[in-house]
Amino acid sequence: MNKLGTRQTILVYLLLAIVLIVFLTPIYIIASSSVKPTPIMFQKPPALLFSPTWDHYIALFSDRPFAKFIGNSLIVALGSTAFSLTFGSLAAYAISRIKHRRMGDVAFWILSMRMFPPIAVVVPYYIIFKTVGLLDTPLALIIIYSTVNIPLTTWLMKGFFDEVPTALEEAAAVDGHGLLSSFWHVTLPLAAPGLAVSAVFCFIFSWNEFIFALMLTGSNAQTATVAVMSFWSSDAVQWGRIMAGSFIILIPGVIFVLTCQRWLVRGLTLGSVK
Amino acid sequence: MSSIQLRNVTKRYGQTEVVHEIDLDIAEREFVVLLGPSGCGKTTTLRMVAGLEDVSDGELSIGGRVVNDVAPKDRGVAMVFQNYALYPHMSVRQNMEFALRPLKLDKSEVNRRITDTADILGLGDLLERRPAQLSGGQRQRVAMGRAMVRTPGVFLFDEPLSNLDAKLRTQVRWEIAKLHKRLDSTILYVTHDQVEAMTLADRIVIMRDGYIEQTGTPEEVYAHPRNAFVATFIGSPAMNMVPATVREGQLAGDHVNLPVPGRLADRVAEGQRVTIGIRPPDVSLVDEGTAGALAATVEVTEYLGNEALLDIRIGSHEMIAEVPASRRPAEDSRVFVRFNSDAIRIFDAETGESVNA
Repeated sequence: MNKLGTRQTILVYLLLAIVLIVFLTPIYIIASSSVKPTPIMFQKPPALLFSPTWDHYIALFSDRPFAKFIGNSLIVALGSTAFSLTFGSLAAYAISRIKHRRMGDVAFWILSMRMFPPIAVVVPYYIIFKTVGLLDTPLALIIIYSTVNIPLTTWLMKGFFDEVPTALEEAAAVDGHGLLSSFWHVTLPLAAPGLAVSAVFCFIFSWNEFIFALMLTGSNAQTATVAVMSFWSSDAVQWGRIMAGSFIILIPGVIFVLTCQRWLVRGLTLGSVK
Repeated sequence: MSSIQLRNVTKRYGQTEVVHEIDLDIAEREFVVLLGPSGCGKTTTLRMVAGLEDVSDGELSIGGRVVNDVAPKDRGVAMVFQNYALYPHMSVRQNMEFALRPLKLDKSEVNRRITDTADILGLGDLLERRPAQLSGGQRQRVAMGRAMVRTPGVFLFDEPLSNLDAKLRTQVRWEIAKLHKRLDSTILYVTHDQVEAMTLADRIVIMRDGYIEQTGTPEEVYAHPRNAFVATFIGSPAMNMVPATVREGQLAGDHVNLPVPGRLADRVAEGQRVTIGIRPPDVSLVDEGTAGALAATVEVTEYLGNEALLDIRIGSHEMIAEVPASRRPAEDSRVFVRFNSDAIRIFDAETGESVNA
């Protein structure tokens, strides 16, 4: 790589600074507003120095069972992620390994699940879940999010499985292992970076999803995203609580991505087949 | 150890038949090499024995049990792959452990086997390394070790030396030969390298286009090739082939005129078109005027130490003669050569079949 001159270096840092400001300002506003006393929240110019208060956080957890909503979000997001990774990677493995002239069609059909706008099926889902008694349960959201996450996982994992040499599975077969054992101990570990990517996408989608959660849950299975918005009513907008809730919502996503990152960058060096 | 039987074993991919009704019996403890050019069906045959390819037709037995529909894991075989196929995310020890896991041995037995195998193959210091941290030769050993720890009835080798450099290849070849003595296993070994086949095999199976051309000990296939293909495939440098026609008890070709050797006189017919086969060491330099001497021009000489190879031209035929290095003539010189008539082989030009017994 060429070494940058002073001018270019300044330019690069300037651009980086702009990008950082664009991305970090909203987070700063959320974080600072969540600890600002209500009277100075909309002060112009914004108050940069103030004595922080935890009132909004306390109110958030005392007014409503916000901890429960966070729990719901976690159950739904982790549940859908686990469900999607399990079935998505099994489907991907089949598509990657079974040689059949219509396999491409199957793969396309799975991808086509992602093509319609989710909002179009909210009402049918509402009717279905009401009929089978799943309305306002985490399971309903897990099922819906998985219909979106499974195709994504399938397509991502297929690419990773294609990269794993079949010779390794053949070696496992003559070493006395059945298909599942060879999948679990050989193929899947080598596709671990793919699993990590899929997990991040599935988790973030499920964690952030709003529309289905709003329409299909009530007081029981409400998720954190929907709960935060409930502080925005026709009477009043409780900005402090919304900001406190938003900040809390940011945290699990960051933790999850950082956890998965270990697998993303681990970079298994393939030294197996010449 | 187990015996292996193939009865009319056929392999088809869709409409294309790549292995045609092969019959082969491999005895317990025998070292059999499948030898042939690429695309001859040798690897496909090996993979059918391993269970990695279905048998389209015919019957395949291992240890007296028909295994056509038996999964690879239940066949009691172990295989060394051409590209080694080591599990990259496992250490050398884990690679071996993983191969032992289906046998459900107790921990001490697993460790004992791994230690023993590592000792034999000189892998003791490498047990905790990953495949990526090993050299080609070391990986090759690990691949053999992974197969050995299972003490299988049948060992399958798929061109195990083809990724090694020449020096290492000779060394590992020796090791495989020693291992066979020590292991007491039945070995089926695939290669396209006739030197490997000659040095390792109890019996060589020469294949071409999905057919077995000849089966026999290295001595048999070298000394008594059944047809022109086997004759040219076995032996290095290859057997010289000279087209000729049988006329009045002579083999007449371009600038070549030899009496039909007495032992073959009644096996050829007047006017029959044939190919004369003569191995390079059986072409000797003689003085002008010797009976049966043929005039030749030396085009290139290759000095090999004890011997020299001469690229000679007789009429339109290019041939190779192997002579003592001390007697090698200068390039471009005119010499006289004679074919050792006891060593002459005659093949029918149409069918390629040998007319020698």
